[in-house]
Amino acid sequence: MKPENYVIRLCLLLMFLFMASVSPSGAGENAENGKPLKTALTGKFPPFSFYDNKGELAGFDVDMSREIAKRIGRKSEIIATEWDGILAGLLAGKYDAIVGSMAITPERQQQVNFTAPYYYSGAQLFVHRDNPKRLYSIDDCAKARIAVVLGETYQHFLETNYPEVEVVTLKSGAEIFEMLSQKRIDGFVTDKLVGSWQIQKAGRDFVAVGDLLYKESIAIPVRKDNPELLEAINDALAGIESDGTLKKIHDKYFSLSSGRKTGNSGELSNSIIAEKLLAGFGITLIIAVASIALGFILSIPCGVILTYPKAMASLPYMVVRTIVDFLRGTPVLIQLLFVWMGMGLTPFKAAILTLGINSMAYMSEVIRAGLMSVDPGQALAAQALGLTKLQRFRHVIWPQAFRIAIPPLMNSVVALIKDTALVAVISIPEVIREAQSIISITFEPGKYYMVVAVMFFVVTFPLMKMAGLLEKRIKQKGFAHD
Amino acid sequence: MIKVETLNFSYTDGTQALFDINCEFPSEHIFAVMGDSGSGKTTLLNCIARFLMPQTGKITIDDQDTSGMAEIDLRNKVGVVFQRLHLFPHLNILQNMMLAPTLVQNRPVKELRKEASEMLERLGIPELAESYPSQVSGGQAQRAAIARGLMLKPSYMLLDEPTSALDARTSEEFALWLKELREDTSFIAVTHDLLFARAAARHGMYMEQGKIASQGVIEDVTAAHC
Ligand SMILES: Nc1ncnc2c1ncn2[C@@H]1O[C@H](COP(=O)(O)OP(=O)(O)OP(=O)(O)O)[C@@H](O)[C@H]1O
Ligand SMILES: [Mg+2]
Repeated sequence: MKPENYVIRLCLLLMFLFMASVSPSGAGENAENGKPLKTALTGKFPPFSFYDNKGELAGFDVDMSREIAKRIGRKSEIIATEWDGILAGLLAGKYDAIVGSMAITPERQQQVNFTAPYYYSGAQLFVHRDNPKRLYSIDDCAKARIAVVLGETYQHFLETNYPEVEVVTLKSGAEIFEMLSQKRIDGFVTDKLVGSWQIQKAGRDFVAVGDLLYKESIAIPVRKDNPELLEAINDALAGIESDGTLKKIHDKYFSLSSGRKTGNSGELSNSIIAEKLLAGFGITLIIAVASIALGFILSIPCGVILTYPKAMASLPYMVVRTIVDFLRGTPVLIQLLFVWMGMGLTPFKAAILTLGINSMAYMSEVIRAGLMSVDPGQALAAQALGLTKLQRFRHVIWPQAFRIAIPPLMNSVVALIKDTALVAVISIPEVIREAQSIISITFEPGKYYMVVAVMFFVVTFPLMKMAGLLEKRIKQKGFAHD
Repeated sequence: MIKVETLNFSYTDGTQALFDINCEFPSEHIFAVMGDSGSGKTTLLNCIARFLMPQTGKITIDDQDTSGMAEIDLRNKVGVVFQRLHLFPHLNILQNMMLAPTLVQNRPVKELRKEASEMLERLGIPELAESYPSQVSGGQAQRAAIARGLMLKPSYMLLDEPTSALDARTSEEFALWLKELREDTSFIAVTHDLLFARAAARHGMYMEQGKIASQGVIEDVTAAHC
C-alpha cells in the first residue's frame, strides 16, 4: 500500500474521533440545582490558588469556592483559567462566578455584579533589599521601573495616579521575581498578603516599603443576569464569616503556625513535576495531532479549489481564497479567543478547531503549490488513457502533488506544534500551563521553560530533519516540472 | 478509418492553425503525417483526440462522429502518445502500463501483469519493468509510452514525433519494431523524420501552414518535399 493511503486513513479516523468528541454530551443538566457551581480562578496565585504537591488545586480561594458551593447546595467545579481572560470567560458563561481574589473596581462593576467582600488587602510596593535607588515609598519612584502582573488592578492604578512611574507589565509573579533578582526592574507592586507570602516562600531578598498604596476589597463577581446566584453567594459568605469558617480557612494558609514545610503549598517533588509536564505535553500532542488531521483533510479540497483557473469568475475560489487570506492575515490568538468565547466552545474543542482551521489555511497553500507544480501533461496523458476526472486526480495528480508537498507540509506541522503553546491562554492544561503553575510554586522559570523548550524540540527536530531528507529525494526522482 | 471533413481550428488567441482540412486515415498499419514546424500537425492530432474542439468540421472514426462519442468509448478506440510522453513519474514502467486497464477496463491485475511483462519482453526491455521513468533512456521511455498506450488495445493510435528521442539508425529499427507490434492497431505518426516515414509507412501526407500540401503513397509525398 502506498504511504498516502495510510495518512488519509489515519486522518479520517482522527476526524471521526474529533467529531465524536464535539457532539453534545450527556443529559441531566437541566435542573439548575443539579448543576455544579462553576467558579474560576487562576491556580497561579498562591496561597489563594495554586497546585499542591499532589498536583491538585488548593488555596484560600479554592477552599472558599468549595465552602460556598457546599452552602448553596451545589457541587463545586473549579476552573483554572488565565487572569487575562477571566472576566470575559465569566461574561461568556464559561463559569458562574470568579472566586479568584478579584478586587472590586468601578470598571468591573459596569460589567458584573460583585458580592460583599470576603477579604481586604491592598497594594504594596516591594523592592530589592539592596535598594540601589533608595526607594522608600511609591513617591520616590519617579522614572523607576516598577512591575505589575498584566491585567491586575495595580497597573491601572499606577498609570493614573503615578504617571511618572515607568510601569512594566509582566505575565506572572515568578517573572517579576526573576526580573527583580536580576535588578532589571526596581520594584513591584502587588497584593501585600500575597507578595509577602511569596517572597518568604521563594526566599528572596525583597522587602515591603512605604504604606499601602490603597486598600482593596476582594469579592466575587457574578453575571448581571444572575441576581439569584449573587444573593445566594452573599448569604453563604455571611454564614462563612459568622460561624468562624472564614478565619479557619484564612489561618490554614496565612497563620505563622502553618509552617513552610507542612506542605499545604509545599514544594513539588520531582516525580510530580515530571508527571505534570509529561501529562501536559501529552495534551499538547493530542491537540497538535487532532488539529493537523483536521487541517490536512480540509486543506485538500481547499487546495484543489485554489488551483482553479480564471480565479475571478469562480465563486468557490473567491470564498476559499478569502477564508485562507483572512486566517493567514489575523493573529491565531484572536482566532482562538473568538472561537472559545465568541462561539462558546469548550477550550479543548476551541483549540483543535482553531488550530485545525488555521493549519488548513497554510496547508491549502502548500497543496495548491504542489498541485500546480505537477506537469499539466500528466493529466492530459491520464485523460488520453481514459481515466475519469476523479481517477486522474486520485491516481496521477495527487500522488505527485502530495510527494512534492510533503516537505513544506512538515514545516506546517512543526509550526502548528509550536502554535499549541498559545492554547495555554484558554486554560487548557497543556505543557506550558503546567510549567507556569509549577513555576508559580518553585520560582524556577529558567529551568522549567528550558525543559519545556527541549520537549518541543525533541518532537520537532526529527520532523524538520525528515523534511530536509524527503526534499532531497523528491528532487532526485524528478517529480514536478519547473 | 478516420475521416476529417472541412476542419477549421483557431486557438483562443486568434491564431488559425488548421484551414479546411479534408483527409482520410485508412485503417492500415502506419500512416505518416509530415510537415514543417508550426504547420498544424499537433493541432490536427489534438482535434482527432478531442483535446481541442474545432470551430467547424466533422471527424468520424469508423463512421462514428467523435463529437457525440462517450469519453470512455473514444479513449478505448483512440490512443495517444504525446511528444513529451508524460510517463507517470511516481509509478514504475509496469505500473504505468497497468494503471489504465485496471481502472478503465477493470481487468484482473494478474492477467494484466502477465500481458504487460510479455509486451516488455517483446520491446526488448524486460529488465525495465521495475524501473521508474526517471531511470530509463529517451528511447526506452518512448517504447514504454507506446506500450502503455497499447495496453488498452485501441484501434487507432496517434503518435506525436515518436522518433524525436532516437538517432537515425534506431529510428529505422523503431519503424520495423512498430510494424510488428500489434496488427490490430493502426498508427498515425506525426513526424519530421522522413527516413522513419519511408521505413514505416505506406501512405502519408504533408502539411504546410495549416493546409494539406499533398497526400498519397509515401514515396511520392516525401519526394515532393525533400
Ligand atoms: N496553445 C496555442 N495557442 C496559440 N497558438 C498555438 C498554440 N499551439 C500552437 N499554436 C500555433 O498553431 C500553429 C500550429 O501549431 P502546431 O503545434 O499544431 O504545429 P506542429 O506542426 O505540431 O509543429 P511542430 O512540428 O513544431 O510540433 C502554430 O502557428 C503555432 O504557433
Ligand atoms: Mg507538434
